[in-house]
Amino acid sequence: MNNKQSLQKQHTSKVRKPWFRTFFHYCSVKWNKLWNGHPPDYVLLTIASITALVMSVPIIYVIWRSLFAGSERWLKLLDTRIPGLLWNTLSLTFVVTALAVTMGVALAWFVNRCDLPGGKTWQWLLALPLVIPPYVGAMTYIIILGPRGWLWDVWGSQPWLQSIFENYPINIYSFWGLVFVLTMFTYPYVFLIASASLRKMNRNFEDAARSQGYSMQSIFWKISLPFLRPAIGAGAILIALYVLSDFGAISMLRYMTFTSAIYYQMGSFDSVAATVLSMVLILITIVVLWIEASTRKRTVHQTSNSYKPPELIKLGRWKTLVMGIVLAVFVLSVVLPVIVLVYWSSIGISMGAINSKFWQYTWNSILVCGLASLFSMLLALPLIYLKSRYRSVFTRMIDRLAYSGYALPGIIVALGIIFIFNNYIQLLYGSFILIAIAYIVRFLPQAMQSGEASLNLISPRIDEAARSLGHSSLKILFKITLPLIMPGVLAGGALVFVSSMKELPATLLLRPPGFDTLSVRIWVEAGEAVYHLAAPAALLVILVATLPLRWMLNK
Amino acid sequence: MKTRNIVLMLMLCFVMVFAAACGSAGSTNNEVNQGGAAEPTPQENTNGEAAVEEPLSGELVVYSARNEKFVDALLQKFQDETGITVKALHAGDAVVNKIIEEGNNTQADVLISNDVGSMEHLRLQGLLQGSEPEGIESIDPLYRAEDNSWFGLSARSRVLIYNKDLITEEELPQTIWELTDEKWKDQFMITRGGNGSMVAHVSALRNEWGDEKTTEWLTKVKDNAGAITDGHGDIRKAVGAGEYKFGLVNNYYYHQQLNEPSDNNVGALYPDQGEDEMGVFVNAAGVALIKGAPNESNAQHFLEWILLPENQKEFSFASKEVPLNPEIQTTEEAKRISDYKTMSMPLNKLGEVWLDTKELIEKAGLDLEIK
Amino acid sequence: MSYLQMHDITKQFHDGSKPAVMKFELEMNKGEIVSFLGPSGCGKTTTLRMIAGFERPSSGKITIENELICDNHFSLPPEKRGIGMVFQDYALFPHLSVIKNVMFGLHKWGGKEKKMRAEEVLEIVGLLDFADRYPHELSGGQQQRVALARAMAPNPRLILLDEPFSNLDVKLRERMRFELKQILYRAKMTAILVTHDQKDAFAVSDRVVVMNAGEIQQIAEPRSLYRCPKNCFVAEFLGKTNLLTGKLDADLKHVFTGIGKICLPVHTTQQEDQVMLSIRPEGCRIKSDGKFNGSVEGITYCGEYQEVLVRLNTQENNDQLMVIHAQVEENLQVGDTVYFDITPELVALVEAV
Repeated sequence: MNNKQSLQKQHTSKVRKPWFRTFFHYCSVKWNKLWNGHPPDYVLLTIASITALVMSVPIIYVIWRSLFAGSERWLKLLDTRIPGLLWNTLSLTFVVTALAVTMGVALAWFVNRCDLPGGKTWQWLLALPLVIPPYVGAMTYIIILGPRGWLWDVWGSQPWLQSIFENYPINIYSFWGLVFVLTMFTYPYVFLIASASLRKMNRNFEDAARSQGYSMQSIFWKISLPFLRPAIGAGAILIALYVLSDFGAISMLRYMTFTSAIYYQMGSFDSVAATVLSMVLILITIVVLWIEASTRKRTVHQTSNSYKPPELIKLGRWKTLVMGIVLAVFVLSVVLPVIVLVYWSSIGISMGAINSKFWQYTWNSILVCGLASLFSMLLALPLIYLKSRYRSVFTRMIDRLAYSGYALPGIIVALGIIFIFNNYIQLLYGSFILIAIAYIVRFLPQAMQSGEASLNLISPRIDEAARSLGHSSLKILFKITLPLIMPGVLAGGALVFVSSMKELPATLLLRPPGFDTLSVRIWVEAGEAVYHLAAPAALLVILVATLPLRWMLNK
Repeated sequence: MKTRNIVLMLMLCFVMVFAAACGSAGSTNNEVNQGGAAEPTPQENTNGEAAVEEPLSGELVVYSARNEKFVDALLQKFQDETGITVKALHAGDAVVNKIIEEGNNTQADVLISNDVGSMEHLRLQGLLQGSEPEGIESIDPLYRAEDNSWFGLSARSRVLIYNKDLITEEELPQTIWELTDEKWKDQFMITRGGNGSMVAHVSALRNEWGDEKTTEWLTKVKDNAGAITDGHGDIRKAVGAGEYKFGLVNNYYYHQQLNEPSDNNVGALYPDQGEDEMGVFVNAAGVALIKGAPNESNAQHFLEWILLPENQKEFSFASKEVPLNPEIQTTEEAKRISDYKTMSMPLNKLGEVWLDTKELIEKAGLDLEIK
Repeated sequence: MSYLQMHDITKQFHDGSKPAVMKFELEMNKGEIVSFLGPSGCGKTTTLRMIAGFERPSSGKITIENELICDNHFSLPPEKRGIGMVFQDYALFPHLSVIKNVMFGLHKWGGKEKKMRAEEVLEIVGLLDFADRYPHELSGGQQQRVALARAMAPNPRLILLDEPFSNLDVKLRERMRFELKQILYRAKMTAILVTHDQKDAFAVSDRVVVMNAGEIQQIAEPRSLYRCPKNCFVAEFLGKTNLLTGKLDADLKHVFTGIGKICLPVHTTQQEDQVMLSIRPEGCRIKSDGKFNGSVEGITYCGEYQEVLVRLNTQENNDQLMVIHAQVEENLQVGDTVYFDITPELVALVEAV
């Protein structure tokens, strides 16, 4: 039967052979050209394409919706709102990214390359702010530095201070207040990635530079910093995109960016304006990604044949100063917030905030976040593998699409998912798996960044060797590449877990009725400024997220 | 060897979590299906009494934009009394967006909202359905939709919350218009213009003053306010802590602040109460029936249930709001609705002017102003 | 019919750019070892990678045992070609032990045979005792042998070696050249080796393909390649040489150059008058009654011989510098006058490029 059909097919194709042949030939030539003569494994390509498709759901949604915005609406927004929002958003993103990168790189350098007392313990102590959601950070700093905060109380009791400054000089509800809070709770992105790179850095490069007569200081600028460039770029992207998409801390500290404007517009059911603003936000994201990519030089593969761990630098008389900086950062970004949370939690617990429901929320959080982190590890693999080993327009497109969810506000991601899944794929609708999908859409790039960093350290020759030994690229991915980049992939998974624990807006909208997570509880309580009930949940988010972080850093 | 172990462990975890996920996902679906199957054949709407007699089962999906503490006890009571499993989603104003987005495949039966404007907005978009629940007459037609697809239950008055340590009731501005006065510069707080309560309030002001005067009010208040926030929670906290002298909020925020363990020396002023003045603006919280509700008969039942006087009372009491039904007693701290002068605009007109009001606020620049 | 056939292979990485490999033609017999020799960037590695399947030729055709490997429309993926490859940095899998590395290519073999075969090849390369070590625990030479064993294990139709000696020190390098040749011969492997060092090429291979700027310069056995370079690029690339222009004598056996008449090893069939000569330094023997003379400009001591830079006077009165070899016991000083003869066997007519 089949044979007959194919025979017939052959027959008909014979009749039209010239046309059919040339067309087929043309396609295959084009396809091969696209991949530089090396089309990748189709299974991988399919998985990656489907992933990219899911990742682009919010974008499709935004474009679809913004099509309904008449040109009049566009012009009006462009005229009146967008210039101001653009300035607000870009200045905040730029300042926070710059400061956080500086801080992250400096701290990574101190911890990994200097003889800091306490040594490697700082490695994870300084990564801890990662598990503190910035809105919780904002909440604690409002409690500490706010117009009637703890510091103000101290102020009131110290007349000499008043005599110097007259009025209480700190305004947390300001651009710089927000910059401070965001920097304090986002720098670990750079810190972690830069630390990982620093540890991998081969001493030979520095030795070579020293033999050329460079001082340690100029080696830092001329050798280490360029070496860290990919790590810094990756971290800076994470931070910039975070700032672009943050709502919690920004709204608590009363600032207005594209994302908060989108939230507010959605809050007054103006989804058209919200999607128009989202379109602009997407453009900004593209520009940010483009800037990073175009300033990055070609990826370098470091061969590990002659690896020597770098030498620790003796700090000498600088020790006190460096130690002071490290301690200050730790106190400001971890100790103080935790003290505030413990203080409010103790009030809350004494009022009976912890009951059986509370543990249910905790389990729910762990369940969804675990699901999201597992799947993002699996889905990130084909994406990064194709990107690194099969460079082409196509993989670049897939890569870019995968980033689209990251910069978009959670509420847009959530509405996009509702739009698609409620209309077309109703099987999953109303199940918490949808939340996990939203987390993947939002945080997959974190898993990708981390995996990519490890993958780029593995020479493509390793893959080629495996192929010449008769293995398909899919098999190689699992037998060779995956075991080698496992630490990076797992770290990415841990990062996704931590971020998911903190995620709020998508969780809020997508959870099935009756399904609450810890972050939802924080929102419910903090939204009404009931800090003593928000604090235990916040503290638990921090604790639960600390575990994977701790594990990830032990690797 | 080590990596293999890790991979194995991961696989195991993965399978476990996935199994758990599928399990609970399945059960959720099953419940829904059972609900659908067990659902009694749709009753005639008017046949309410008969419905009560029938043994009730299945579930009711409630989307609530209200603070969940105000709603949870009430929903629990409904579940206990009727045997209908209540599934509630509390997500603030975002639920309204969710209802709009779910339009093609409705998930929710009933919406509980804080703001008449948003319910009327949904109705005008064709997302609500009318009904004739028993006991609807107890609500003044001013406070319900033409087709009763939504109705208000409790009033939220727009009052000035003030810090008694910083200012006395006599010193406070006595009218809303006085907020434009230079002398209050940087001393009070308002929410941004896009806040649902604010939009409704501005609509009422337009009705009273006309567009020109309202725009002037908006522009001046925007410059005068010391801080503009997204929600009212921040205002009551800040005023209670003495950061600002007073702020414009819905009355129950005042009651909330009163119940705080500290920073609770606050008072509330009902503005515009003088002889020729317009009165205080009253918004309402209430419930709405979603079009195409999957458990429609249960939803109908809920509407009738909540209109029972004791439940109406509970609805308002939980939030310390004022019942719209004057026959129902008020909490001690709150004034009765008949005790003060209210603005004349019927709430069910809010939806029509809603877009125009928003445009006016946008023009004044208050829609996205936060400081 | 030959074992490996490469026909008209051209590789252009980007449209409009200069091709990396141009019109490459080669036929190999079974069991033969061939080297691709040339300076870096000459296209030799690209050619190798095209045979392995990691690059696809822009045009041309490759067959092994008459099976089509790739042409303009078709390209067999690398994993299906049955070609083993040894990489410059060995590319051993760092997370697998030596024996696991070797067994990696034996996935289609049965469990027991797999182990036996792996042990067999490790035995061949002399590393059976190191089977359970990890790559980072081995020295450079050992790593290289593991890489070789790994490539050989599945009995590939062809083994490709990309600069296999470049990461080894000189001593080890010499020993490995010898060992590699022994191992390949014993296993009757057909192999292609890419190198930029003519010593590697001469020591290991039966034939050498000299490449420059993407084009084949000459294909020949090592001996004739050295003695009869086809053009001046080949002559200069393979060791030191002196290039002189001259005019062919009517007897077709002598050439008139600036420094005098030089005898060729055989009669030439060259048609043109103007020719170029390549004279190897070791073809110049110092003799007190030598026909040519000049003054010593510089001496480099090389251990087994001395390299002497000599300035000769020409008839046109411009000086000609030549490098000649001298015995170590020859006591020469800068400024001395030396006399020498040129042996015809190390003189060749070359094409000017």
